[in-house]
Amino acid sequence: MLRLPFLRSIPQVTRVASLGARTNSTGAPEKVEVFIDGQPVLVDPGTTVLQAAAMVGVEIPRFCYHERLSVAGNCRMCLVEVEKSAKPVAACAMPVMKGWRIKTNSDLTRKAREGVMEFLLVNHPLDCPICDQGGECDLQDQSMAFGSDRSRFTDIAFSGKRAVEDKNVGPLIKTIMTRCIHCTRCIRFASEVAGVDDLGTTGRGGDMQVGTYVEKMFLSELSGNVIDLCPVGALTSKPYAFMARPWETRKTDSIDVMDAVGSNIFVTHRTGEVLRVLPRTHEDINEEWLSDKSRFACDGLKRQRLVSPMVRDSTGKLVMVEWEDALVAVARALQSAKGDELAAIVGGFADAEALVALKDMLNQLGSESLCTEEVFPMDGAGTDLRSNYLLNSTIAGVEEADVVLLIGTNTRFEAPLFNARLRKSWINNDLRVATVGPDVDLTYETENLGDSMQVLQDLAEGRHAFSKVLNGAKRPIIVVGSGALQREDGATVLQLTQRIAQNARVAANVGHDWRVLNVLQRVASQVAALDLGYKAGIEAIRANPPKVLFLLGADEGVISREDLPKDCFVIYQGHHGDRGASMADAVLPGAAYTEKQATYVNMEGRAQQTYTAITPPGLAREDWKILRALGEVVGVKLPYDTLTQLRARLTEVSPNLTRYGDVESANYFAQAVELAKLVKAQPNSAPLDVRQKTLEDFYITDSISRASPTMAKCVQAVKKQRQSKY
Amino acid sequence: MASVIVNVRPGLKLFQSVLTCSSRRAFGSTSVLMNEDPLKLAQLKDAPLKSLDDLLSSSEKNDGLITVENKVDISILTGVPQEHITTRHVRIWKPVKHAMQSGTNNTHKWKMEFESRERWENPLMGWASSGDPLSNMQLSFGNKEEAIAFCEKNGWDYSVNEVVEKQPRPKSYGINFSWNKKTRTSTK
Repeated sequence: MLRLPFLRSIPQVTRVASLGARTNSTGAPEKVEVFIDGQPVLVDPGTTVLQAAAMVGVEIPRFCYHERLSVAGNCRMCLVEVEKSAKPVAACAMPVMKGWRIKTNSDLTRKAREGVMEFLLVNHPLDCPICDQGGECDLQDQSMAFGSDRSRFTDIAFSGKRAVEDKNVGPLIKTIMTRCIHCTRCIRFASEVAGVDDLGTTGRGGDMQVGTYVEKMFLSELSGNVIDLCPVGALTSKPYAFMARPWETRKTDSIDVMDAVGSNIFVTHRTGEVLRVLPRTHEDINEEWLSDKSRFACDGLKRQRLVSPMVRDSTGKLVMVEWEDALVAVARALQSAKGDELAAIVGGFADAEALVALKDMLNQLGSESLCTEEVFPMDGAGTDLRSNYLLNSTIAGVEEADVVLLIGTNTRFEAPLFNARLRKSWINNDLRVATVGPDVDLTYETENLGDSMQVLQDLAEGRHAFSKVLNGAKRPIIVVGSGALQREDGATVLQLTQRIAQNARVAANVGHDWRVLNVLQRVASQVAALDLGYKAGIEAIRANPPKVLFLLGADEGVISREDLPKDCFVIYQGHHGDRGASMADAVLPGAAYTEKQATYVNMEGRAQQTYTAITPPGLAREDWKILRALGEVVGVKLPYDTLTQLRARLTEVSPNLTRYGDVESANYFAQAVELAKLVKAQPNSAPLDVRQKTLEDFYITDSISRASPTMAKCVQAVKKQRQSKY
Repeated sequence: MASVIVNVRPGLKLFQSVLTCSSRRAFGSTSVLMNEDPLKLAQLKDAPLKSLDDLLSSSEKNDGLITVENKVDISILTGVPQEHITTRHVRIWKPVKHAMQSGTNNTHKWKMEFESRERWENPLMGWASSGDPLSNMQLSFGNKEEAIAFCEKNGWDYSVNEVVEKQPRPKSYGINFSWNKKTRTSTK
């Protein structure tokens, strides 16, 4: 009596499987035992030989195989011997069979590898000394480890080696196509991950070429990743060409701040100069990829930098002064104003340490108007409930979703790696994506529901045709872009989104560990600033114009001299001479993200820290140290002298800020909906829009990318490509 | 006869068994005091001799390792200046696969590294200079615990970056040709 309903509840397939298996009652597929060089390993059926070998720590050489791309099986480098098999098998494509004895280091295997290597090298130029891949080249390494010790290649006819014309695929990727070994990793990346089917092969055999067929730029925001993927030097970085060898450089682990994703990166540097930025694998954030802005905007760190403190003199010119004079001038201004006449605006690159130091100082001076540049509706629960401003589902979490609704966001350019996850999920899990807002190309199929506020209202009340899909979803996710919340009726957009999310949650009947409502932040500092209690948006400052305004890296021009009283003293602290510094009366040069050990919280609410790669240029100093010194001059003693003490203060304010690597999840969704009912604002008739619509809008968005010549070249190249008939 | 006295800083129980030994026995010169019974002399000056039975029945087992009950702090013995003990912060992490290459041999060991300090361009050659003697010290350990123990022993403040593991995705050559349009290979 008890067994029958239990059995019925098990899906049909597993029931048959469990009845068929002799010992396995759970219905899980039986493991297959194989032997790698005599070592037994139990693997799931369908595992490839290469993956099985990796489980016991045996690495099989490969060129075309890549863990995150589909299996191509065309380089043949992974050939291994399988006992009782007539021919060697390609480990990357062959699923293991029960009891297979795989020999990864037998004579036959070694001979097979040597043969493959010889053919590859016959058609590969001997230009390692001038090749940018030298030192980090898979072909170089593997020819040392598995190649023959002598060459049989003699150019009898003196016809030269095979040569291929170079392709021009834009200002980021340099192609030397003679070096190409036809692994097709770049082609697979472009069509699978980037979703831009531009690359392909033409010709066959010795005449095969990888390229775009017609001269065309590789129009993707993830294009730089093919440089990493290329196992040889066929695709290298154009900005990094002939700059350095990998053994000459230092590599410092860090976090990217060009968007709010918080991608993990390596900063490669030498003699106090950042040479390049590479992705560092983090399975839950960026996997192995990096967006082009994060990768190539690093040359902006060398230009337009503030290298010395500056104070505006009697003629209205900013002149360079010593730190002492600058601090005294700033302190005098701060002391001359009353507490409520002080205000601060923080920009997108501010780190949590500087944020807390600034807040402590101004709070002690009696000011409460500390604002972020990014607007966020403060009505209803506003930023009091943390779940209101986080990407609660986490980036990796979208791989479990079945329906995603994107509201007023172009994820492709606001968070390219989050978009890559959505695309991955769309390919592998049949994710259904709908958008409210302009119909932009997200590299995968989306249903555009329109861009008017009426659509949101219909969805919130369950009247829209898509509501049925949303209510039928098992694991729905709603993502609202922070851009959509910056409208005048942002509070209404948030309120409607919360209602849609709450309805979807109730309909799906998911547990509390599944989060439906998500906000996609655009700048790296926002979550930390809101966690620390900054006000979002500068309404408070507009309402009560200050006598002294402190700009901490605020460069987006949300406030201008016209908005401020004539005698307002503006202090700018930051690393680039951009909009903020040009309107300032005193400039304090700070450090960029590669020059300080600092905390950033990404859009999921995951605290991560950057590490110091290089020293700030000139007289520039770490931001929290400047604020600490300034506090001393002003007469406000900030109670921290070291980074450790400062982090203890951070922990005191918000403990999640120092739990590095962990996502601190948030809750109270239902309560947020209730509080949002207090919102009185009426929906605006203007359609929902996004700031970045096409690729040319992606490259230049902040003070670092504005200073970057590479990013400027990209914009130019994309515009030129748009005029081309291809 | 000379006795060696090792000056040990107070509070160091580990090395407080001061080494005093008879130089004669150490050099093995017996010619001078031939007439005296060497055994008696030894009993007078040296630690009492133990018979073979005593040694065999001893509860202390010498297995080549010294087990110390309490946490050891060797920072006062290492000779590392105080400023490089109290002000330094060590980061312990496990490297991930380099993005540019497919080899994974560099990902097996845990590493420790100090926070970086100021570097500047040397006016002589334009190379980078540093005043930090620990800037190039990057040590490898078999596991995280060893690295932590090493830092604790040396009195360094440390933080550990945990590894984010992920199950490998099952891969199949066949899905390139599946009727499912999304995984079907579009370009060749």
